[in-house]
Amino acid sequence: MKNKLAFWIITSVLSLFVIYALVSTVLMPVMTKNPLPKATQSAPEERAKTGKTNKANKANKAESNNSGDDDAIPDSLVSNSSKDARQKLFELRKKEALLHSRLTLANEDSMYLVLDFVSNTAILEMKGVRLHECHILDSDISNSIKMFHTDALLNWMAEPFTVRHVDATIPKISWVEKIAPKDSIEANKAMVEPAPTKLGDVYIVMDFNRNLRLVIAQNEKPDVEGKKLISAMRWKYSEIEIRKSIQSLTKFNREPAMPQISIVLPKSDATILYKALPVNLKLILRM
Amino acid sequence: MEIEEKKERTFLNVIIWTIPLLLMGIFVLMILYTPDFQNGAFKVKAVFVGSSDSEAKSLDGIEKSVLKSQRNINSTERKLDQLKPVKPYIVVNTTENRFSLRNANGDTIKTGTCSTGKNEILIAGSKRILFKTPKGMFEVRNKQEDRPWIKPDWAFIEDGLPIPSARSASRVEVGSLGDYALSIGDGYMIHGTLYQRFLGLPVTHGCVRIGDTDLELIYHTLSKGSKVFIY
Repeated sequence: MKNKLAFWIITSVLSLFVIYALVSTVLMPVMTKNPLPKATQSAPEERAKTGKTNKANKANKAESNNSGDDDAIPDSLVSNSSKDARQKLFELRKKEALLHSRLTLANEDSMYLVLDFVSNTAILEMKGVRLHECHILDSDISNSIKMFHTDALLNWMAEPFTVRHVDATIPKISWVEKIAPKDSIEANKAMVEPAPTKLGDVYIVMDFNRNLRLVIAQNEKPDVEGKKLISAMRWKYSEIEIRKSIQSLTKFNREPAMPQISIVLPKSDATILYKALPVNLKLILRM
Repeated sequence: MEIEEKKERTFLNVIIWTIPLLLMGIFVLMILYTPDFQNGAFKVKAVFVGSSDSEAKSLDGIEKSVLKSQRNINSTERKLDQLKPVKPYIVVNTTENRFSLRNANGDTIKTGTCSTGKNEILIAGSKRILFKTPKGMFEVRNKQEDRPWIKPDWAFIEDGLPIPSARSASRVEVGSLGDYALSIGDGYMIHGTLYQRFLGLPVTHGCVRIGDTDLELIYHTLSKGSKVFIY
C-alpha cells in the first residue's frame, strides 16, 4: 500500500517536472519567440558607403512593397499560377538580397565569406573576386531556419551577418618567438631547416548577429589530441545550453532558440578559410 | 507456488518503478539536449502550424514586382562587375603557400607554389619584429629587373651582426631577390629566391617568393596597378 502511494506521488511529481521542463525550455521558446530577428537597418555611414545603387534598390523595394499592400487579397483566393509567381518572386528577391549584400561588402576593404547552399560551396571573396572556393561536403540547417522559408527569412538574411564571437581549435596565426642571436656564430647554430607545418584538427564555432550560429567541422577523422580539443569545445557549448535550460526552469523564460548552420569541409579548406577570415568577419547566406 | 508469486510481484515492481526512472531520464535528457528538442519542436510546429507564406498579392502585382526585382538584379550585377579587376591579377594563399595568376575575366593562367611569411616574432631587446605576410588587396606599385636587396636592420639582427649605417655598402646584396621584383608597398615585394627548395613553405620575412619560371610569367603578365590579393 505504502509502495503504491510512493509510486504515484513520485510519478506524478516527475511527470509535472517533465511537463514543466518541456513547456519552459522547449515549447515556450519555440511557440512564442522568433528565432530569426528581422534584419537590422544598416548604420548611416554604411548606407552612405554603398552609394546611390543601394538607395535606388531600397526605394524600389519600398515601392514594390507598397504596391503589394494595395493588391493584397485573401490567401484562399490565390490561384496556383499566382503561387508559382510568388515563388518566383521570392527566389528573385533572395537573389536580389544576395547581390545587394555582395555589393555592400565588395565596397569594403575586407574579405568576406559566402555560404552558398544552392551550389553547396563556401566562397572567400574580396572586392567581388573569388579568392578561395571549396565544396561543402555536408550541411545541416536548423529547422527554425528551414520552416521560415518565406519573407521573414528574406528579411533575416537580407543584410550580411557580422561575427560576434569566434572559437576554434586552431590558432588564427601560429606565432613562433625567437630571441635575436648575440653574434653570427650563435645565429648559425640556431639555423633550422624549415619543415612543412602540421595542420591541426579544425572545429570552429562562430556566433553572428541576428542570432545565428555557424559551426564548421572537418571531414577527416581527428587524431587523439584533436578529438580531445573538439570534444572540449562541444562540451563547452553544451554546458552553456544546459545552464540556460536550468535558468529557464527557475525564470520560466528561455531565450529564443539559436538557429544553427553546421557545415563539413575538407580540413585544408576549413583551415584556409579560418586563417584568412578577418576578425570582424561578415557572412552572406544563399539558400 | 509462493516463491513464484513472489518472483512475479518483484518483476511487476521492477516494471512499475521503471516509469519514474524513465520520466527522470526524459527530464535529464531534456535539460542536456534542449537545442535538439527545440529543433524537433520546430519541425512539429511546421507540420501543424505551417510556415507563413509570402505576402499575398494579385498576379498583376507579383508580375510588376518580378520585373522590378529582375531590373535591380541586373543593375547590381553590373555594379559588382565594375568592382572586379580590369587587369590580370594574382591571388596568394598564405596557408598553403600557393599562388594563382588570373586574367581580367578571372580565368586562371597559372597556379604554382610560393613562399610566404614565416609568422615569427624576433625579439631583440625591447624590440619585437614580426615576419608576416600582410593579408588583403594590394597593387603592383613598380616593377624592376635584377633589383638589389637593400638589407633592412632586422636582416643584421637576425644574423647576429652589427647594424651598419643607413648608407653602408654592406646593406646592398645583389641576386638574392632573383631576376624580377614587383613591389606591393610598405617594403613588401613579390620576388625570386635563391632557396628554390623551400618553395611551398612559410619561410620569408613577409615578401612573397616565387620560382624563376613562374616569376618571369608573373612579371610579364602583371603591370603597374595590377591587383594582388593575399589571403
